Amino acid sequence: MSILYNTEATLAERVDECLADDFKHNAIKAAQEAFYAKRGQLVEEMGEGWQQLRMHAMEVRNHVTENLDYYVKQFAQNAEANGCIMHYAPTGDDALWEVLDIFESHGAAYAVKSKSMMTEEVGLNEILEEAGVRVTETDCAENILQTAGSKPSHIVVPALHFNRTAIADIYREKRGYEGSDVPEEITHFLRKILRHEFLEAEVGIRGCNFAVAETGSVTLVTNEGNGRMVDSLPKVQVVFVGIDRIVPDLESLDTVMALLPRSAVGSKMTAYFSLDSGPRGAGEADGPEEVHIVLMDNGRHELANSEFQDMLRCMRCGACLNICPVYRHITGHGYGSIYPGPMGLVLTPGLVGYDKVDNMVYACSLCGACTEHCPVSIPIHDLVRQHRINIVEQGKNHKVEVPIFKALSLFWSSVPVYMLGMKVGAPIMELMAKDGALDASTAWIPVVNGWTSTRDFDVLSKSRFRTWFKEHKQEQAMAEGGER
Amino acid sequence: MALGNKTLDDLLAPISKQLEHDGVAERVEKPAWEFTPSRVTDGKTKAQLVSMFVEEAEKIRVQVKRCKAGELAEAVASIVAAGAPETGDACSVVCADDERFAAAGLYDALRAESLVTDVAVWNPEKGEASVDAALAATYGITYATGGIAETGTVVQPCGPKCGRAVSLLPLVHIAVVDAETIEPTMLEVMKGLEGESLPSQVCFISGPSATADIELVRVEGVHGPMYVHYVVVE
Repeated sequence: MSILYNTEATLAERVDECLADDFKHNAIKAAQEAFYAKRGQLVEEMGEGWQQLRMHAMEVRNHVTENLDYYVKQFAQNAEANGCIMHYAPTGDDALWEVLDIFESHGAAYAVKSKSMMTEEVGLNEILEEAGVRVTETDCAENILQTAGSKPSHIVVPALHFNRTAIADIYREKRGYEGSDVPEEITHFLRKILRHEFLEAEVGIRGCNFAVAETGSVTLVTNEGNGRMVDSLPKVQVVFVGIDRIVPDLESLDTVMALLPRSAVGSKMTAYFSLDSGPRGAGEADGPEEVHIVLMDNGRHELANSEFQDMLRCMRCGACLNICPVYRHITGHGYGSIYPGPMGLVLTPGLVGYDKVDNMVYACSLCGACTEHCPVSIPIHDLVRQHRINIVEQGKNHKVEVPIFKALSLFWSSVPVYMLGMKVGAPIMELMAKDGALDASTAWIPVVNGWTSTRDFDVLSKSRFRTWFKEHKQEQAMAEGGER
Repeated sequence: MALGNKTLDDLLAPISKQLEHDGVAERVEKPAWEFTPSRVTDGKTKAQLVSMFVEEAEKIRVQVKRCKAGELAEAVASIVAAGAPETGDACSVVCADDERFAAAGLYDALRAESLVTDVAVWNPEKGEASVDAALAATYGITYATGGIAETGTVVQPCGPKCGRAVSLLPLVHIAVVDAETIEPTMLEVMKGLEGESLPSQVCFISGPSATADIELVRVEGVHGPMYVHYVVVE
């Protein structure tokens, strides 16, 4: 997989498909409500501290962005001093080349992976499989998706679009599962089969939530413990680190960690948070003997010092997804990007360019709920709007839009034309109306049916507000005069 | 340009260019931050922090025992005495190699339990065999270097005397933590680590391994321990 998927379907086709799947969007709705309620409670508990944390995280992250070259270098040098083997990847293809090289030099044919968006971004699994390497996803949801050959519908709980029976059936068919449909039993079956795979794998592949420049450390947040297994058992470890994951020091790591689990899943802390600084030390019996860090840019630097610079603060928590009314209905699959929801609308075109993303940036009502909930105060909806402005300015919008908006602009900027339109509009609408409104029977009219196929459109009033207001004032004056 | 074999400079040059920097600065001073966030732990006494630690741990389904300094061995052994959770079967135990455990007589106390078949003390010289012992064990016992009141977290560095496997592979993890090492938030723990040479891993553990990946139903015991106990020594 790369950033975009299901690109043969249009946005409208993908959305239609998701809207028709009641189980899927009801599952997303349930997740949104559960995470949102839990998050809200924790935010309230923190009182003023929450806003102060947001502001502090913003100033820290902005400072890193403004000095990104310095902090990338500091992190790289300190990680190397810790004994990590560094690989520099200006592009995704560079990253793939480096990873293939690591596997080849070890003659490794089997890897376990803990969920990492960066590896999804470059399509690592597909490339490794082509090279004859078996890769097992070890996060429960990712393993379900991998076993079923499906794609994530939510970035935190990616397999929500399957119900328990479907999941049990997938494992019955593919892995010889013989138990019931009860989530607990399926999960414990996964514990058993995956534990064996952790022990057998030669290489562990993982991502990094935050990298600490001053100490050269990488970190990993998980609840299931698969991250710790990947991090403890295989002899060789490959860590994917985005250049936008860096915090200056351990104190700022606390700031972002106070925000991340609360925003992502409504927990004060995840079950595990590990701070890793280099391979196993002298005299240690477990942990990786070799740690390879793939430090990847893949288009991120272009966001710095641009109108989208704020996006480099993003922690990938998913709080914006959990509040978004559009995401609630079209689910992660509607967007056709591994980065869905509000943050995805900003990041996806930022990374792949406007020519490739069809009209996904229009899948947003600009309500601003995402901006309000973002733990690092990214003005997400403003950035979505900025993408739309850029698309129009670069002449990449739909060709039909240009004459339509030209005509509308003429209509609204010329008083006589506007007045004439209002006068003629009402009787024409009257002709087609039922009970004073255009209803679904007018759905044959192009453009207008965008509204009338689902809602009534009230007929224009024959009298104008200005006329009414003038008369009203006169009446009022007369009444007052009478009283005196 | 050819793929791979890129240098740090290859990665940095486009970033500097985008930032309109004339090369990477020799040194960047962190500014004086404008915001110092308040935390729920502000102004709490040590005793209140310990109570908060216990409360928060219980919220995330940790079973907590508080004991006096001389009762460490007894408190830990009483948990293991029940045998394997649910079945009550005889089982084995893996422990970190810690002087405080030895001094408290913990290893002997565990060996004296009738349902304990074996007590393995982590020994890196045995290499893989140490990991195998942890894999076979039902209980893994570690001495945490600290606790965090705000989140009910224990701080567990790994090293030659306490492998990662001890707190990860067994079905049950028992973490012993001294009450006086309980800090208000992770910030104090991080400040304590600054300037130190960091161990290869510091793991912050908050309760049992869990998931909600199937229909958002919470299930405990995914890849790590299904049950977690904290023994708070006062």
